[in-house]
Amino acid sequence: VTIQEIGAALRARKTSVRELTEETLRRVADANPRLNAFITVIDAAARARAMALDDELARGIDRGPLHGIPIAHKDNIFTRGVRTTGGSKIFADFVPDYDATIVSQLNDAGTNVIGKTGLHEFAYGITSNNPHFGAIRNPWDPERVPGGSSGGSAAAVAGRLVPLATGSDTGGSIRIPASFCGVVGLKPTYERISRIGVMPLGLTLDHAGLLAGTVRDVALAFSLIAKHSSGYVPSPRADLRGMRIGVPENFFVERIAPEVMLSFRAAVQTAAALGAHVTEIKLPDGEALNVVGRIAQLSEVSALLARYLDRRSEIGRDILVLLEQGRLIPAIDYLNAQRVRTVLARDFSKIWKHLDCLMTPATPMTAPKIGEMSVAFGSFNEDVRTAATRLTRPFNVLGWPALALPCGFSNAGMPIGLQVVGPPQQEDTLLQAGAAFEDAFGIVGRRPALS
Amino acid sequence: LAAAAEPPVPEDLLPDVVPPLEKLEAALRGLEVGTPPETLLWNGPEDGA
Repeated sequence: VTIQEIGAALRARKTSVRELTEETLRRVADANPRLNAFITVIDAAARARAMALDDELARGIDRGPLHGIPIAHKDNIFTRGVRTTGGSKIFADFVPDYDATIVSQLNDAGTNVIGKTGLHEFAYGITSNNPHFGAIRNPWDPERVPGGSSGGSAAAVAGRLVPLATGSDTGGSIRIPASFCGVVGLKPTYERISRIGVMPLGLTLDHAGLLAGTVRDVALAFSLIAKHSSGYVPSPRADLRGMRIGVPENFFVERIAPEVMLSFRAAVQTAAALGAHVTEIKLPDGEALNVVGRIAQLSEVSALLARYLDRRSEIGRDILVLLEQGRLIPAIDYLNAQRVRTVLARDFSKIWKHLDCLMTPATPMTAPKIGEMSVAFGSFNEDVRTAATRLTRPFNVLGWPALALPCGFSNAGMPIGLQVVGPPQQEDTLLQAGAAFEDAFGIVGRRPALS
Repeated sequence: LAAAAEPPVPEDLLPDVVPPLEKLEAALRGLEVGTPPETLLWNGPEDGA
């Protein structure tokens, strides 16, 4: 059920915010023991808020398309009076005294917060296998990771617990779980959605964003919270006629699992069939973007979190390794990485003279099993974290908007993600393309076993 | 450098910390070559081409 459908039912008095909230809380209570998508559920507050939102509708006060819509916020996003752990034992009892801007904007738009979703510790990883709050499970296969770091948000949307959730993305943390869980995730242009009140991780790489079941649902929420929003939401019949879409012939199509590549190639054919001008394009050095992105991230995260190294026993080993690496990077290397980033950004930006957007696979593989440390691409074995972020991190480094949406399923029934990338501030183009793809793929209604 | 850090990097972490970092920094060395000296730090995406 989409946000628009829920809204129509509310306004036709076929349901109420109270009924909707009760149904949501029932689903969460039923599914969360299996999925572990939520760290905190705020039943009483959600019920009280539902009554207030129903009263508003009865008095003719309609806050718009998100009025009464259940939402979950990633647990590194500040919620006033509700603990915000960052997935960390160190912040397990931290209760913010203000809402993040994204939360207050969505509250003003009428959303009803159901709870806080789990994540990889400190949002610093891609499995969401959290040593303090437990492994979050993928609704399509509970033996597999949901991706991360916004794993709880993606699992909650994929499991049909909530129609909308927030996330943050420093190297792929919205798009990777969207890809692994078969939902839609938008990492907007750098700074297009406010980061105020989102626990910082990588200061020049962090992005706040959204996850939902459909592209139009993401667009609806984005239109209400984005800086300089055009208010654009794709029409019921979005198309790709005349859109200039680039398909990389290097880097983004290398070391890709065969099933992912098959779905990606089918998506490219769909684009052409829908009227897009599809062009193969050789991009500048994508691996270079990942090198400078990893140097920048390691340094920036350690600058913020190394102060907690005196509490090693409360930090997971994978995080300790990254924090130590960040501590050992000389300032000279950090600064030169940021200068190389400037040069790369200038080179990459030239593609927008001839293109409106790019298509790539969102992740080179489907969701790995919980505990899997490496993934094989033919004879090449790659660390799971490096592989999962390989196609997403470049767009954190460039600050460009990127949308992940499902484009198929593997033989094992796991979702496969497509990534659509655009020039800065051109989210509307991505949302238009994404909606056209979504309509053409026709897989939105497919539900995971654990929904 | 790892031993001189304050506090030092624990020995049991060194095999996971040092070799991947050395590889990453070597890759950066290759990229730094040819960066014009007047190049400034990245300061957010520029609109348009």
